[in-house]
Amino acid sequence: MFKSFIKKSRIKSPWLLHFDCGSCNGCDIEVLACLTPVYDIERFGIINVGNPMHADIMLVTGTVNHRNKKVLANLYEQMPHPKVVVAIGACGLSGGVFRDAYNVVGGVDKVIPVDVYVSGCPAKPEAIIDGVVMALGKFEDKVKALRTGT
Amino acid sequence: MVNELTTILVLLPFVSAVLIYLIRVGAIRSLIVLVTGSALIVCSLLLIPYAPFTWSPHTLLGVPLHGVVQVADFALLLIILYFGYKHRNLVIQLLSVLQIITMVYLEFFVVKGPISTDIFYCDNLSLIMVLVASIVGSLICFQAIPYMKNHEHHLHLEKSKQPQFFFVMILFLGAMNGVVLANDMTFFYFFFELTTLCSFLLIGHDATEIATKNAVRALWMNSLGGAAFAIAIVFIYYDLGHLDMQQVIRTGPVAGLYVLPVALLVFSAFTKSAQFPFQSWLLGAMVAPTPVSALLHSSTMVKVGVYFVLRLAPAIQLSFLSQTLAVFGAFSFLAAAALAIGQSNGKKVLAYSTISNLGLIFACAGINTPEAITAGILLIMFHAVVKALLFLCVGTIEQNIDSRDIEDMRGVYAKMPVTALITVMGVIMMIMPPFGVLLSKWMAIEAAARNIYAIIMIGLGGALTVMYWARWAGTLMSDPFAGRFKAETQPVLTWFVLLGLCVGGGVMSVAIPWLYVLLVVPALGGAYVPPFTVREGILESSFGSFPVVPLCIVAAIGFLVSIWAVRRAAKARIVSPYLSGAQTSEVGTFRGPMNQPVKAWARNYYLNSIFGEERLTTWVNLGAGVLLTLMMGGVL
Amino acid sequence: MNDYLLVAAGVLAGPVIGGLVSGADRIITARVQARVGPPLFQPFYDVAKLLGKEAVVVNVWQAFCAYAYLAASVLAVVLFFLQSDLLLIFFTQAVGALFLVGGALTSTSPFSQIGAHRELLQILTYEPLLVFVIIGIYLETHSFKIVDIFRWPEPLLLKLPFLFVVLGYALTIKLRKSPFDLSTCHHAHQELVKGLLTDYSGPFLALVEIAHWFDVVFLLCLCALFWATNWVGMAILLVVTYLLEIVIDNVTARMTWRWMLGYVWAMGLTLSLVNLIWLYAAR
Repeated sequence: MFKSFIKKSRIKSPWLLHFDCGSCNGCDIEVLACLTPVYDIERFGIINVGNPMHADIMLVTGTVNHRNKKVLANLYEQMPHPKVVVAIGACGLSGGVFRDAYNVVGGVDKVIPVDVYVSGCPAKPEAIIDGVVMALGKFEDKVKALRTGT
Repeated sequence: MVNELTTILVLLPFVSAVLIYLIRVGAIRSLIVLVTGSALIVCSLLLIPYAPFTWSPHTLLGVPLHGVVQVADFALLLIILYFGYKHRNLVIQLLSVLQIITMVYLEFFVVKGPISTDIFYCDNLSLIMVLVASIVGSLICFQAIPYMKNHEHHLHLEKSKQPQFFFVMILFLGAMNGVVLANDMTFFYFFFELTTLCSFLLIGHDATEIATKNAVRALWMNSLGGAAFAIAIVFIYYDLGHLDMQQVIRTGPVAGLYVLPVALLVFSAFTKSAQFPFQSWLLGAMVAPTPVSALLHSSTMVKVGVYFVLRLAPAIQLSFLSQTLAVFGAFSFLAAAALAIGQSNGKKVLAYSTISNLGLIFACAGINTPEAITAGILLIMFHAVVKALLFLCVGTIEQNIDSRDIEDMRGVYAKMPVTALITVMGVIMMIMPPFGVLLSKWMAIEAAARNIYAIIMIGLGGALTVMYWARWAGTLMSDPFAGRFKAETQPVLTWFVLLGLCVGGGVMSVAIPWLYVLLVVPALGGAYVPPFTVREGILESSFGSFPVVPLCIVAAIGFLVSIWAVRRAAKARIVSPYLSGAQTSEVGTFRGPMNQPVKAWARNYYLNSIFGEERLTTWVNLGAGVLLTLMMGGVL
Repeated sequence: MNDYLLVAAGVLAGPVIGGLVSGADRIITARVQARVGPPLFQPFYDVAKLLGKEAVVVNVWQAFCAYAYLAASVLAVVLFFLQSDLLLIFFTQAVGALFLVGGALTSTSPFSQIGAHRELLQILTYEPLLVFVIIGIYLETHSFKIVDIFRWPEPLLLKLPFLFVVLGYALTIKLRKSPFDLSTCHHAHQELVKGLLTDYSGPFLALVEIAHWFDVVFLLCLCALFWATNWVGMAILLVVTYLLEIVIDNVTARMTWRWMLGYVWAMGLTLSLVNLIWLYAAR
């Protein structure tokens, strides 16, 4: 019974970590717009904690470059399970228009496993919120995977 | 039986000290120390059922005892004069000459007939002091054996100075027992000055320039107290015609010629207990080897001052002296705690903490209600044990890392887990309920509640105290990835003493209800109505209650649960501390500019701009001087 | 039997009352900021989610400190419900606060270290104030025992108004409200990332949060003592005080520790001194 309450709570209380991996800040502004009173995602229990050790969902924007890929990996490692990653914007998906630049790794999933992709350049706040909600649905699978050890 | 026990407690250390000085074989010396210490512990415990008692031996090995002490007294004063001459210190020379003249005047021109009915008097207050000095003192001497060996090894001494060291340390134990058992004030004065000399010799033990300078400073400040004492007893003899301490106390409280010498006695206690503005000798004494700091300058010698004032407390009830004493003590408590915040030198923090707690005991004596006196007595007992433990821990850590600075002790848990944990336990015993030191503070606050100046200062001081202790305990444990635990090796005696003091402090805290009934209530004597009733391990008074045993049970359960949590956490996933994601695989470093690893470091707040020693000491001494003048002037 | 019921009430009061007050706090704060805010039971969802997270530690002694903090806070509330000695209860909750700091100091991250020191400075600031409030209550009711304080015929607020303001300062600091939210703060008000709590995570963070609820209950009980004669009066006092705290939180910015120490000690000492002198003179 308590376990089902915890299951429900994971969906009701997702804490975000937002990390900019070399983005032009377009997607970041849209993410921060979600936190403002206009969209007010705190009514879903979402809080932007800046600390990977407190976070459940990591929102990553930007192409990821060879300098900050280690930071991205460190942050992902410091997050306790169960955790989901949402890659935002065209850059986060595949590198966007900067794909061929020499410093660009080209997409978040080249460094850490991504669960939800939110496309757009920049992605709209409504799309981002949709992406986060979709990510919430993935918690169950994550917990099962942890238990079975996959 | 009781006469034999008293003789052993006072005289055996003198004999052992001489043997130690003459027999220069290390193993035999250690054996003598161990045997003497054990004998003192056993005898002090055996003494418990006999208190209260009096004893007036007339001869020592056939020689009249008074004569022996007179001769020894003058010899002592001449030795101090010699040292004053040797170190070219005019103040010491003047003070010792003054004391010699005063004692000559007293002994040969003033005293007519027997000066006291009882030479030795032991009530429960003396008994508690004897137990503290003998048990804690002996344990410290035990730990000194491996400590000094290591100390001399570090200093690369070709010729060992341990015979002189242990000679004075063991002699001091005898002097300590003599001081607290003495009822004849000339005897008290002799042992009092003997502890001064021991302190001087031990502070200057390492014979470096700074050690000698600090030893000389200790000598003149303590001699100031000795001179005040000598003048005081002349006045007392003039006024009352005898020098029997118990009768002197029973005569009070009266006005007139009586109050001035009592104020002078209180003044001498202040110098002995390093209260402001005489605190610099205690701070300077920290250059001595750590067993010296543990024995003399926290557990026993400085307690002579507070013991003496607690004994005098019934004589000064409801007087102006008592009220100013309360304010002065509270001021000391606050000022020393403030100064400790600005310190990063571990031993100086301990020294200021000692001065702070002694100030609190003085305040308790000044408040002079049954709760306050109970608080003072309990604080003497518990502070002695816990502070000795902390000094010995710092000494052990210092020998391992070659530094006594708290910043260098950062993360010492990695190198010395057991010692670090014992030190943290010591800190917990200093500041947290249900342990004895906090219980005494609680009692003192409740007792002081009606004195507005005292309570404001005690409230502020208590908060400051917590800050510097918590800061230190956290720094010791500040180590990344503490999952592994490999106990370090220390000499057996060191473990025996550290663990003994730690466990002893805990057991004593649980046993407070019984200690209160068996030891403290009789110590209150006829002058005070016992303030607490004990019911099912709960101390209860008319306006406060402290459930000792229930809290100890809850604390023990909480402790066990937390240890279980630690063991479970050891199997958890260990991650690097948060360094903005830039951490490298090496612990505690992050990737900085040009991809170079940079060590992440942090330093404690010492708040030097507010609480720095240089800044604050002038103001504190000024304030103390004002209060002291107020106190002494008020009795004239 | 009665005692056991009180103990159970104390142990349950913390999460239930503390959590609900926490939730109400967030809703009211959101409305004041022209937002909607989370549901009332949000703090419970937060704690449950944290309990279900993987246990990740920086230093195993953090686990010890989190449990010790919780134990001490629970004990303080239970002792309050058992109507024990007020000064003792104050020292018990201080144990918890110190273990929280200790746990943060075990991590070598500069965020934790500075957060821990700021927390120590906060403790330094509010501890004397709480002692003065308790002394003031003693001077008026002649007892430290809560059972006697409850029997006092008139509301303490009448004779101890300034001490209630002093308690308000301590309350603001302990509730981690602006301008005193230096060491760590409610969600998303970052400066040192999460300051003191940066390296606590998962189940241990959940324990710290529950312990904070118990602290809130303890402080509300302390405020309640100021109008203990009448349940309605007590409720009004608590509601007004807490609403005032939320307003203060929203209209002030975070200040430095120097300002906090200087201002709160100056105001706190002056107000306490005046009120204590009144009480002293009235005896």
